[in-house]
Amino acid sequence: MNELINELKLKVIEALNLEGMTPEDIDDNAPLFGDQGLGLDSIDVLELIVLLEKNYGIRLATPQEGKEVFKSMAVMAEYVAANRKK
Amino acid sequence: MTKVFCTGCGVVTPVGDTPEAVFLAVRAGRSALQLYPARPEPYMASLLSRQGFNGPSFFEHIAIEAARKALAQAGLDPSGPRVGLVLSAIKGNVEQIDSEDVSLAAAAARIAAELGVTSQPVVVSNACISGLAALLQGMRMLRSGAYDHVIVVGAEVQSRFIVTGFQSLKALSLQACKPFDAARDGLNLGEAAAAMVLRAEMPGQAGHDEVTAPDGVMADTDRPSLWELVDGAVRNDANHISGPSRTGEGSYNALKYLLPLVNREQLAFVNVHGTATRYNDEMEAIALERAGLLDVPVNALKGIFGHSMGAAGILESIVSMQACDAGVVLPTQGFSELGVSRPVRVLAQEMPTSGTEFIKLLSGFGGVNGALLFKKGGAR
Amino acid sequence: MKHVSIPSGADLGALYRQVAGDYPKFFKMDVLSKLGFLLTEMLVADEANRFQPREDRAVLVFSREGCVANDRHYAASMPDFPSPALFVYTLPNIVSGEIAIRNKYAGETSAYVLEKYDEAQLWALVREAFQDRCTKSAVVAWIDCPSDTVWKADAWLVGREEILK
Repeated sequence: MNELINELKLKVIEALNLEGMTPEDIDDNAPLFGDQGLGLDSIDVLELIVLLEKNYGIRLATPQEGKEVFKSMAVMAEYVAANRKK
Repeated sequence: MTKVFCTGCGVVTPVGDTPEAVFLAVRAGRSALQLYPARPEPYMASLLSRQGFNGPSFFEHIAIEAARKALAQAGLDPSGPRVGLVLSAIKGNVEQIDSEDVSLAAAAARIAAELGVTSQPVVVSNACISGLAALLQGMRMLRSGAYDHVIVVGAEVQSRFIVTGFQSLKALSLQACKPFDAARDGLNLGEAAAAMVLRAEMPGQAGHDEVTAPDGVMADTDRPSLWELVDGAVRNDANHISGPSRTGEGSYNALKYLLPLVNREQLAFVNVHGTATRYNDEMEAIALERAGLLDVPVNALKGIFGHSMGAAGILESIVSMQACDAGVVLPTQGFSELGVSRPVRVLAQEMPTSGTEFIKLLSGFGGVNGALLFKKGGAR
Repeated sequence: MKHVSIPSGADLGALYRQVAGDYPKFFKMDVLSKLGFLLTEMLVADEANRFQPREDRAVLVFSREGCVANDRHYAASMPDFPSPALFVYTLPNIVSGEIAIRNKYAGETSAYVLEKYDEAQLWALVREAFQDRCTKSAVVAWIDCPSDTVWKADAWLVGREEILK
């Protein structure tokens, strides 16, 4: 699971252009949205939806679903582990 | 301030090729919205037929056609140095992205050449408010004294580029869109071209009811009175590049700019942006409340045309002029149950009006919002 | 009238760290928006109360190429996985929105595409923008990017009195 979380962190950093960030900078359980944590916004949710489909074959239908899945890196990793098709 | 009048209109749309025909189609609830197959998902759109078209650019073709109609109605020869051209376009020829010449400026130059316009055209590309911004630009060019007439034309054609883009934003609805409705779930795409010829009022004008052409010939007063474009404003939310402001900041500020110029008793309706996304319609409702306009009838046209992007501001204004001339507030196609948090007066049925003014309201990506006030010429 | 410029091909990341450094969203922007952001920083970083929201400053962006550099990036992402983060930048006016957001400019923002850099035409359009009675100053930018590494980027800060005299 730790490997998956790390892999996800690297992909998120790249997909969202989080310049200068490393996986160590992202707390597994920190909220990804809102003013704490990474402060991601609605476009980032959509880009993460693409990331899940491109890398793991998971199709989320709506941004609302996305907000649940992308609560934190740990929650995201659990979801990916449970639902990945590749 | 120099008054600006519209002396000619032209439209190319999937539901009609004259302003009158389009007005009747909207009145009857006739839209060309249908579901088109595509990968990964189908999309709902109102598209023009390309049957028989063989030229290099369908976008330029419809822009030229709409402009020609407006010029014919205005009886204007566009070749003089005092005739300007403003093109409203968002993605233009993007289908030809791999070619050298995808520039909007190059397209404008070709459109100008085809129309016989000799002055240097201007392209206004301000996201979904482009049509309104282009009309405002035309007004300013006339008020600066640089031109006596300006042709303002807006057009948009759909493409894989635009469809996939909006799909990636999950902004599209798979049903005919439902502006301001409780069940609204996104926008539809549209194609159209629309044009207006704008003219500055000549100095030493006789009176409100007569608009004199530069050669001293009186306009035919049996025709419907000319519409005056009173003023307009563009304001940024300064909040987010694609999400509308939760407080309707820019939309409210644009409306606020016009309020001192509005005769409230004569305000027939506000024709809104009404894309039918959850966020846009809610934002407009808040802006209308903040501007003290909740008692004014509201009408949205994208349930007929879809979102015609570069053409929207001009097309929707032309239809609104037709409606006001006919003494009606048009129904909002797709609307049945109010689904915004403010009691906006959106109507599912047509309603009579004796008002002689309307406001066109639009919003767009990049946080832009625009409002433009129209008044029947000769009205007090 | 203050004038700033960014040489073609400059390292924008380095310039960002030099003139701003406090706005991570910079790295999500397309080249057009990065240039607009940086040019404005260079123009107004020293202004008193610079982050006070205001409606009296317009942002007017001009170019020939529009957002074609980013259009091509988006088009490249299209066949497999169209990118929403790229798509939102496929408009010539987004740069003016990014400037407005960063600087809290709630006034007019406009984008124009001209056939070429024509000073007379550009400044006539700027003068016309001041017909908006609220507009007291404007950030004016010519940002022309045929690609991510080649551009002409200039900006000016102009006040009502100077432009209308």
